[in-house]
Amino acid sequence: MKRAVEIAAAAVVAVFLILALAGDHPTESPIREYIVAHGVDDTGAVNLVTSIYLGYRAFDTLGETIVLLIAVSGVMFLVKRSKPPTDRDVDQ
Amino acid sequence: MRHKTDILDVAARKLAPYMFVFGLYLVTYGDLSPGGGFQGGVVIASGIILLAIAKSVDAVEELIPLRRFAVAETTTFGLLLAVGIGGVVAGAGFLADFVGRGAIGPLPAARFVYALNILIGAKVAAGASLICMHLFGDER
Repeated sequence: MKRAVEIAAAAVVAVFLILALAGDHPTESPIREYIVAHGVDDTGAVNLVTSIYLGYRAFDTLGETIVLLIAVSGVMFLVKRSKPPTDRDVDQ
Repeated sequence: MRHKTDILDVAARKLAPYMFVFGLYLVTYGDLSPGGGFQGGVVIASGIILLAIAKSVDAVEELIPLRRFAVAETTTFGLLLAVGIGGVVAGAGFLADFVGRGAIGPLPAARFVYALNILIGAKVAAGASLICMHLFGDER
């Protein structure tokens, strides 16, 4: 019985995934058509994904690098505090 | 330095250079083919992390001091900001392309995207490996 419920749930999920992948993406959006038409000319990057995240949305990418910087700072702060000082730490 | 097994040792040391080369390829061809600064940087970092797992954090630290990773991380972030402000100075806007497009040839045509890709690649490689090496650091 439990196995049958699991298979049914997996089948439902599979149907949704296949429907989502089938055919064109259903949402029509003017920005998508604009980027496909003008992306290479506007930024010079042949790879359209790159032309979006470093051309049109470079500011967004800067935010992502700030997230990484804060993550590094946080890890360095937390790990340094939890570790007893060694000779190496004293040297620095 | 703790020695694990010969197989792990040899495989990691032979594999890591290829991972570095593939990461550099992803970074430098990010404007032409799938890849880019983030992805290539993570591949480079995974090469460093492979060495740190298979050998030890100390072995990597003998190669490149951890402090240098931190310096690279912050320096590249400063350079990113400088590139962004350079756009403001040139009158194009923050992080806008102000160097223009080159001709198709051996040098990359999308100079601005190329420069940003390299900066972000260096930053992500330094940052991701720094996080992992600090987390593995308790092992030593």
